[in-house]
Amino acid sequence: MTKDINNISKKEFLEKLESYRNGSITRRHFLNVTGLGAATAVLGGTVPGLRPTPAFAGDIGDRVVLATWPNYHDVANFDAFTETTGAHVQVNVFGSNEEMLAKLQAGATGWDVYVPTNYTFEDYVKEDLIEPLDVSRLPNYDAAAFEPRYAEAGSVNGTLYGVPKNWGSTGMAINTKHNDGKAISSWKEFFDITMDKFSGRTVVHDYQLTTIGSALNYHGYSFNSVNPGELADAEKLLIAVKPHLFAITSDYQPPMRNGDAWLTICWSGDGKQLNSDIPEIHYALGSDGGEIWSDYYAIPKSSERKDAAYALINFMLDPNVNVKEVLTHGYPTADSRTYDMLPADLKNDPIIFPAQDLLSPLEFGAAVTLTDPNRAELMARFKSA
Amino acid sequence: MTQRTRNWLLLAPAGAWFMVMLIIPLTVVFIFSFGERAPSGGVVLAFTFEQYGNLPARWAAFKNTMTLAPIGTLSALLIAYPLAYFLAVKANPKWKTILLVLVIVPFWTSILIRSYAWIFLLGGRGIPALLDVIGIEGVRLINTPFAVLVGIIYGYLPLMVFPIYVSLDKLDKRLLEASSDLGAKSWKTFLQITLPLSIPGIATGCMLVFILLMGEYLIPAMLGGGKVFFVGNALVDLFLQSRNWAYGSAVAVTLVVVMLITVTIYMRLIYRLGASREDVSIM
Amino acid sequence: MGNGDYAQDAAPKGRKVVAELRGVSKYFGEVCAVSDLSLSISEGEFLSFLGPSGCGKTTALRILAGFEVPTEGVVILDGDIVNSLEAHHRPVNMVFQQYALFPHMTAAQNIGYGLRQRRPRLPRAEIADKVYKTLDVVRLGGYEHRRIWEMSGGQQQRVALARAIINEPKLLLLDEPMAALDRKLRKEMQIELQDLQRQLGITFVLVTHDQEEALSMSDRICIMREGCIMQIGSPQELYDRPNSRYVAGFVGTSNFFDGILTDNKGVLGTVRVNNEMPMQASHGSDLAIGQDVCISIRPEQMKLHRQGEGLWVKVLNRIFLGEHTEYLINHETLGDFLVLSPRQAEMAESPFNPGDRALVSWEPSAALILDNK
Ligand SMILES: Nc1ncnc2c1ncn2[C@@H]1O[C@H](COP(=O)(O)OP(=O)(O)O)[C@@H](O)[C@H]1O
Ligand SMILES: [Mg+2]
Repeated sequence: MTKDINNISKKEFLEKLESYRNGSITRRHFLNVTGLGAATAVLGGTVPGLRPTPAFAGDIGDRVVLATWPNYHDVANFDAFTETTGAHVQVNVFGSNEEMLAKLQAGATGWDVYVPTNYTFEDYVKEDLIEPLDVSRLPNYDAAAFEPRYAEAGSVNGTLYGVPKNWGSTGMAINTKHNDGKAISSWKEFFDITMDKFSGRTVVHDYQLTTIGSALNYHGYSFNSVNPGELADAEKLLIAVKPHLFAITSDYQPPMRNGDAWLTICWSGDGKQLNSDIPEIHYALGSDGGEIWSDYYAIPKSSERKDAAYALINFMLDPNVNVKEVLTHGYPTADSRTYDMLPADLKNDPIIFPAQDLLSPLEFGAAVTLTDPNRAELMARFKSA
Repeated sequence: MTQRTRNWLLLAPAGAWFMVMLIIPLTVVFIFSFGERAPSGGVVLAFTFEQYGNLPARWAAFKNTMTLAPIGTLSALLIAYPLAYFLAVKANPKWKTILLVLVIVPFWTSILIRSYAWIFLLGGRGIPALLDVIGIEGVRLINTPFAVLVGIIYGYLPLMVFPIYVSLDKLDKRLLEASSDLGAKSWKTFLQITLPLSIPGIATGCMLVFILLMGEYLIPAMLGGGKVFFVGNALVDLFLQSRNWAYGSAVAVTLVVVMLITVTIYMRLIYRLGASREDVSIM
Repeated sequence: MGNGDYAQDAAPKGRKVVAELRGVSKYFGEVCAVSDLSLSISEGEFLSFLGPSGCGKTTALRILAGFEVPTEGVVILDGDIVNSLEAHHRPVNMVFQQYALFPHMTAAQNIGYGLRQRRPRLPRAEIADKVYKTLDVVRLGGYEHRRIWEMSGGQQQRVALARAIINEPKLLLLDEPMAALDRKLRKEMQIELQDLQRQLGITFVLVTHDQEEALSMSDRICIMREGCIMQIGSPQELYDRPNSRYVAGFVGTSNFFDGILTDNKGVLGTVRVNNEMPMQASHGSDLAIGQDVCISIRPEQMKLHRQGEGLWVKVLNRIFLGEHTEYLINHETLGDFLVLSPRQAEMAESPFNPGDRALVSWEPSAALILDNK
């Protein structure tokens, strides 16, 4: 499963990263390039010649390994971290929470900080793979500054395991040019139009949570349902829709941009990017449901550099640092201190910060969906049908 | 030390390698395949045939693999042979090395990166747009079995070219002169001398490509848009997404068995084709 | 030289010419493999190209076979100019240097290959019949189903031969066919080849670097050096009347005495050997007064005796060879040279021993003045 790790060289990774930053490829594209099979992609640290010579050897050691989603950071922040602490940041890129959990479950080690999503914490705690956080070692963490909605999944049974990084929503992006200029705003419309005049033009995600979730929403069920009857309805819908799909992939930006695909399940950050570049692509949340999510910084139990891990998380929680992160990737922050520092046009952006009433039908992914064998097998049957 | 012990000692590293790289993992997978999925993913050891009973759910994946792998192998052969022939027989020796390097160079890049070129070429703005200009409208190429086939041929071409090149290159050119001297026109020389003597290369290339294709998952994922599903994709999903190791192991064991059966039939066929023992050296 | 004298390039009179080269040269880039070759080959003759490795013999053969197109000159086969006629259209077959047998075919399949290419097709039975007959001709009866690698070098060579002669070519080209055989087998094959050639009446063109082989088998020999023909003639002619020091040295053994030509008016010319000793010898054409030349005398043309006319020499060594006895002799001006004394002469006069003084003499006509090239 890991053969492609060796195939993508560090140089290629950096080139890809650079072209992503230039906007010539997209986040999900990048994710696929580097993330399929969990590429051990690397920044700074392991690239000879790029390794900075630390001004002094800090107490925290000479490096810290961060497992995260692609282009979810401002690289300049990592350089600043290295400058102040002497530890360089090595970045490993992953494709999905499922994959990250699978790796840690299988006993993989070497990561110091990772970025799990809300619905995974229960499992990490149950499996004893995650380190409880010692708040005293995170002076920049101010619990009161975070909206509880985006922070509460980080605590399990009263113990803090993760501090919020960013949040976002999963909705739909439609190229209105092909629908007489009209957007759509429900999963009912999404699947109906796919089986009708958008046949062969729709993309759904390549993982169970959102794809099955939206099919459940279509029938008016909960996004997180594990009820066998409801899942059977969702499966029937997905199997019926499959011949009309353009693709089952999480790399939906390129076909949306080049016109091959007209409609897709979409993360808010991608929606923002698509809309900025191609105004006729609209991003909308489902009025009948959808996902809202929050990512957290956390430390895997297996980390051997906990000092460095704490130092990095604390550094990233500094609002002055965090604001640069948000400006780079465009995902909203739950930290009011950081929010206050953002420019007004960003604060008022309807895609990044949607109105509260639009968010209310959305659900956070439930832990049970992550491990539910029926949902996993449903997705697999759908893909191999 | 007797001759016998010495032989065993000499064989030990290879044996150890074989154990670590092949026997142990296969045994583990075999044992897992009789287990059950743990509640939060992974495997609980047991002795049940439940996983094998579920195999029909992956029928489509096996069907796709078992059609596209042979078609891909044959297509790669049809394209690779003329290329290898040109390199080995026709190309100016001065340019040979450079041309050979050109064939290998793509291999230094990840197939992942290379597939992106095809995503563009086969996408709506690539070849279909060109066809549109000449009046052929509405052609869809990307995310079809055809796109996967193109990716397969492209990705596996060097693997096919090399063994054929080697067998053609070591072919004594005087045999071709001898054939011509005895009155055979060039295409008859090709059919009666060149082709039969390159069968070892063809056999090796096909075997190599076919076996690797059976486990392929990247190209279908990239160029099939998740709609052309190989057994390899089923395995990636089972191990990395649904974390159903037991079922994944059963699928993997089945794949290995299918592979062994196919390869055995294939070897028989090659020998039957009349290639003598000396001629055929498969891997 | 050599090609200036057209008479010697011509085939023996009264026989039909099957192949002819006129002023043929072949360049591989800058390298000149053969230069200005002219010769004709007549029906039924056994012609050899003899010369050291790299002198262009194979190239000459390949031009005849049609594998190389000459850079200059004309190739004529059976009266037609065939310079760029492809090999498979020529009524010519070749036995390759390492035989070039098809490894994926049996002996019989190899031998029948040429017949199978014929259009219109020959009936299978006819092909099989001919193959069996040819197997017998080369004495390989019973080996028809053998694979090539199951055969010895000598057997492989017979297969190669059979594969060529079964087509009844106008010209059979053999490129060092015996080079890979051991000495004893080579002798046998030489005799067999000669028999075969007489029996079949096919014209043979043999390439070899082995002078004994060329002398014993050929009707005519074409001596080559650095891409050029030095002399063409029967073994006898080449031996008795070499046209250069090179040919004299290549065909048989000879003693050479270097000098300057001082007179060539009569039948005998005069050479001042080693700048001091005038010697008389029969001279060839194309020699100028003052030119560097040599006198060549075959060792068997010299006689050793104790009385009479001659040069005084000292015997250095004596080797008994059975039929002959070989003496190594020293003369104060001429240096060391060889004398071969036949058995009768040895019987008549008691043998010389190392250290003995003796007189050496020869017929003036046995001494040849040759260009020193
Ligand atoms: N295909 C070729 N390319 C370049 N040079 C060649 C080629 N064939 C022969 N020669 C050169 O021509 C000369 C004569 O070669 P060849 O006819 O093989 O000699 P022989 O058979 O007398 O040993 C040699 O110097 C050889 O290197
Ligand atoms: Mg030669």
